[in-house]
Amino acid sequence: MPPALAPPVVVPNSGNNIVVNPCQRGNPVLECIRNVGKEFGDTPADYQVGRTTGILFLSLRYHRLHPEYILTRIEKLGHSYDRRFLLILCDIEQHRDPIRELTKSCLINNITIIIAFSNDEAGHYLTMYKQYDSKPPDMIKERVDKDYNAILRSALTSIPKVNKTDVETLRSTFGSFANMSKATSDQFRNLPGFGQVKVRNIENAFKKPFRNDA
Amino acid sequence: MSTLLPFHKAIIEEIHDPATSDLLILARGLGLRRIICTLMKIYDSNKNLVLLVNASPEEESAIGEELGITGCRRPGLRVLGYETPSKERQELYKQGGLISVTSRILVVDMLQGDIPVHLITGLIILHAERITPLVAEAFIVRLFREKNKIGFIKAFTDQPEHITSGMSPLKNVMKELQLRRVHLYPRFHEYINKTLERRRADVVELSQPLSDSMSDIHSAIIQCMTTTLSELKRSNANLDLDDLNVENAYFRSFDAIVRYQLASVWHKVGPKTKQLINDLNVLRQLLFYLLSYDALSFHAYLETIIESNTLSASGAARVHQSPWLLTDAASMMFDTAQRRCFKTIVPPEEKAVISPPVIDLDDDEEAWAALDELDRTNSTSDKGKGREKPNPRPAWLPKTMQPILEDQPKWDLLSEVLLEIESETIRFQSNLKPGQMPGNDTVLIMTSSTRSCDLIRDFLDDMDPDAEPGRKGVKMMQKRLRGYLGWRGRLGSQDPIGPRTGNPANKSGSSGSANGKGKEREKGRDEVVSEALRKKDREKEEKAAGRRRMRGGAPGGGSSRNGNAGDAGAGSNADGTQGNEVIYVDKIDDVMTLWSNDSSDPTATLTSLNNEIDLELLTREDFETAYGILPAEQTIVIRAYSDDTDDRMLAEIQPRFVIMFEPCVEFIRRIEVYRSSYAGLALRVYHMVYANSCEEHRYLAAIRKEKEAFERLVKERGVCISTSNLYPILTHTDAIQTMLLTLEERKEPGSATAGDSAVKTINTRLAGGRRELSKEPSKIIIDMREFRSTLPSLLHASGVYIIPATLTVGDYILTPDICVERKSLADLVQSFNSGRLYNQCEVMSVHYKHPVLLIEFEEDKAFSLNFISEMKSYVKPTSKYPKKPANRATTFGASISDPTNDPGSSSGPTIQAKLVLLTLSFPRLRVIWSSSPYATSDIFTDLKKNQPEPDQIKAIVTGADWDPDVGKGVNAVAEELLRSLPGIGSGVGAGGSVAGAVMRKCKSVKELCELSEEEVKALIGVGPGRVLYEFLHKGE
Repeated sequence: MPPALAPPVVVPNSGNNIVVNPCQRGNPVLECIRNVGKEFGDTPADYQVGRTTGILFLSLRYHRLHPEYILTRIEKLGHSYDRRFLLILCDIEQHRDPIRELTKSCLINNITIIIAFSNDEAGHYLTMYKQYDSKPPDMIKERVDKDYNAILRSALTSIPKVNKTDVETLRSTFGSFANMSKATSDQFRNLPGFGQVKVRNIENAFKKPFRNDA
Repeated sequence: MSTLLPFHKAIIEEIHDPATSDLLILARGLGLRRIICTLMKIYDSNKNLVLLVNASPEEESAIGEELGITGCRRPGLRVLGYETPSKERQELYKQGGLISVTSRILVVDMLQGDIPVHLITGLIILHAERITPLVAEAFIVRLFREKNKIGFIKAFTDQPEHITSGMSPLKNVMKELQLRRVHLYPRFHEYINKTLERRRADVVELSQPLSDSMSDIHSAIIQCMTTTLSELKRSNANLDLDDLNVENAYFRSFDAIVRYQLASVWHKVGPKTKQLINDLNVLRQLLFYLLSYDALSFHAYLETIIESNTLSASGAARVHQSPWLLTDAASMMFDTAQRRCFKTIVPPEEKAVISPPVIDLDDDEEAWAALDELDRTNSTSDKGKGREKPNPRPAWLPKTMQPILEDQPKWDLLSEVLLEIESETIRFQSNLKPGQMPGNDTVLIMTSSTRSCDLIRDFLDDMDPDAEPGRKGVKMMQKRLRGYLGWRGRLGSQDPIGPRTGNPANKSGSSGSANGKGKEREKGRDEVVSEALRKKDREKEEKAAGRRRMRGGAPGGGSSRNGNAGDAGAGSNADGTQGNEVIYVDKIDDVMTLWSNDSSDPTATLTSLNNEIDLELLTREDFETAYGILPAEQTIVIRAYSDDTDDRMLAEIQPRFVIMFEPCVEFIRRIEVYRSSYAGLALRVYHMVYANSCEEHRYLAAIRKEKEAFERLVKERGVCISTSNLYPILTHTDAIQTMLLTLEERKEPGSATAGDSAVKTINTRLAGGRRELSKEPSKIIIDMREFRSTLPSLLHASGVYIIPATLTVGDYILTPDICVERKSLADLVQSFNSGRLYNQCEVMSVHYKHPVLLIEFEEDKAFSLNFISEMKSYVKPTSKYPKKPANRATTFGASISDPTNDPGSSSGPTIQAKLVLLTLSFPRLRVIWSSSPYATSDIFTDLKKNQPEPDQIKAIVTGADWDPDVGKGVNAVAEELLRSLPGIGSGVGAGGSVAGAVMRKCKSVKELCELSEEEVKALIGVGPGRVLYEFLHKGE
């Protein structure tokens, strides 16, 4: 399909509104979109949350009855939008096969699937897509500025079986991270709450080489 | 070495035939390892290639040694792990013999063709109870049977309790192992019964009541558990939680029960319920720690729990504490636990000072000097002229503290029993000539953990025999109290204000100057405390080292006995052995104990020596008495229960007196076996149990459970055999169908009877399986690390050709364009938090056209993201400002980066929010939602249809230009730990990641910690280097 045929993108009156396709009228999910404005407008997607972001909506229960519906919608979507999502409401028990088929067709059509498990969650997703549309991804990037105890806790709990009480025990017994690395397995074993498996995991993490010498 | 009893021989007779495949289920403690080792010895030959699968490292080394002892040495059992390079592995496989391999490695080798599968003589599989369709061992069996129809599979287990869940557990295990012969040998098996009943040991059952304060704590814990349980039931009223009662909560499997009960609604339960379940776990542990820890350690552990519960990760006060911490029972428990250790009193002269029980700053110098003094005089005087007791009040003790230091009740019992054994031994010796009877007079004390071993050893070292009952361990407890005080100081430094030495001024400003001063004062004190302590420790170490050196020559005799020096072994000895004097075990005032790292190694009773006598003064006789091997009657060996290694230990030590400090079913059986192996052995066993405690309870229930498990298995085997004719010997195609069959069964649970499933097998063969096979096999490249998960096994079962490789980018490469990163739900949360997922997606987007994130849910858990309760509270605050979206976004940003915001208190961004942001940031990223590994396998095959196959070499080098080690084994845990350190991160920058640079320079995390600040800076840059170095060495 030539890209020239892509339908025009509707520019909402206020930049803060989600543009909702009129065919979504009566969808209970609309009620669950809170904290952002909504307006109806003729868009190729069901929900247009940004200039380049369009979301299609599909309830699996509806899909079961009309399996061809979503394909026509995807076809109509054509090449519009850079960021294309299919929001699936998983409201049936036998979801495995439909999800598998949809996964395949969405991969071909460059659409990302998001699955919600309730109307509330679906509405929440739409709200967030609107809110985060132009937000930098700092929140999910690595954070460097954290305080000592938090880093220590997350570092040590990355070792299997080590919990926050153990972190506390380790810190109060050995003082520093470097001292922990020097401690013998006997020292570990004598700490309260440290069993064989936990000690072995800790030893593996601290003392075993990262790579073998193949 | 270890003798085979008649029933052992009968079992081996049954199963040794290499033409058959067998599953042996034996009751625990009856010497399964003996049987395995004997079998392996039979199979040992260059012409055979026998693989030992699913053995833990401890078992590998123990089996290896046992084989060595029985004369199966060259080359004996060779152990392969991820450290062994693949070239070496191939060589070893070619040589044949007995080889033990880690399952994950074996799978990879089988897939890569590094091991000649058709030449394998047979597999010996341990822990058969863990076999399910999803584990690597089942995968191994499938790969094995695919190319090798004649090799044998011998599977073993001594844990029948595990094969009881589900409809027909035994059948499932047999199906996965593809074998049909099962041998059940419970303890009540007639033959075993006959062998063991013939000679019975003389058992003295000692039931010790708990002390008053202990039973107070015990009932308080039970009360807390009841509260927590009823809370749990109240918050999940719609669930059937009848099975959850305090009785069940004694067992380790309790967590599993709760999880199982809640699995269907796990996504709906809030963080509160999860916390409650966690609390139950903690309380259950407390019950056991109450019995096995000394009063001080127990109190210290309680304090740690309180500490970690009141402060959140970021140091702010936690909002949601565990409910049981707030109950009356809990506060009574804490009080009583403290009262067992010490009382806080108002010192007579300084009434004004109110008590945190720490040492005062003012007199510390003197106090510590005095303490050193005291300690020295104490230790010398003990050696020389006897005891200088009771020392009234050590100077190091804070004035506000009145030590109580209650003994554990069993300690008294222990000292009485030891006395009794003394007199018994003497009676024996006067009646008999030594050597007439098998066994020797070594006293063996068995405990539940190495920790309690240490405790008992310390107790016996410092025991004061003349003290009234209940006060015998005072000296040891005082030593421990001192250690505790130092520790207490360091625990306090968790305080968010105290330890930030970098900028104390600006931090303490916020909390008010008075407070700040107080903290600093406290800190100063802590420093003094710890410095003095350190000094003491150094001194002690020196002393110990010196002593050891002096005696270095002697213990050689002991350790050479089994050629493995430096093992666990505690010899303690009594002085006053000359003549026929009464030997007081209690006089073991100067004991050398070498307590080495690995308790699972076999014991060598390192004989230890008595007093320090100058070498020059020694005559030859003196030398014998002072440095020779101790006569057995003077040694006490303290060991923790372990696995079948205990059998060999018993055979080596040959004790006539065994004290079981804690009850243990297996060990009783071991003693039975040991007793039956030696004719005429007069064995006496003391069996100590706390009356009406969870210990007793658990012991009885364990016996019952095992019996029931065996009864079920016997029944099921009866049914199995009658239907087994329906199953032909499985071939590869059948194996696939078996897998399909399990899938079918999953879809329609309950409907599949044996007859039905046989019909289905035929149907599926015609319909599904054949088509897949006739096609040219499609390939998927899978990262080595992924072989821990079940997906590769399932993919293989669905007919995909699997190529294992070490990948830098992605986990699964489906086509040249599609690269998948698999995340289980827990992984997803964790890698979102660490920011690792962002980096992974970034790298995938750079290298592949279709980067895919696979979110995989667990089979039996609900298919949903489980953050609903948090989601609601997240939406709420925003509704106040509906008109200011821009502002709102920044508030979110602030609330996220603000460290004081506690994620546990619900307002952090949800997983959904992060997912939204991720998909918005990477428009090309696709998400696969899979309800189970089975579904994933379907989706993968679907995606691969009519697509080109991926290229292995290209996949490996992708994104790995910087890493010279590409394609080698990795230590994932260590790497994860490294990446979570500040300044390292998981990013892949130009010229390689920081982590990569570190890994090239240092071999392990430990080596990184040993670098100097300059070296660290040179390694990863000045800024991050400083941060990292400060992090590593903060608090030293």
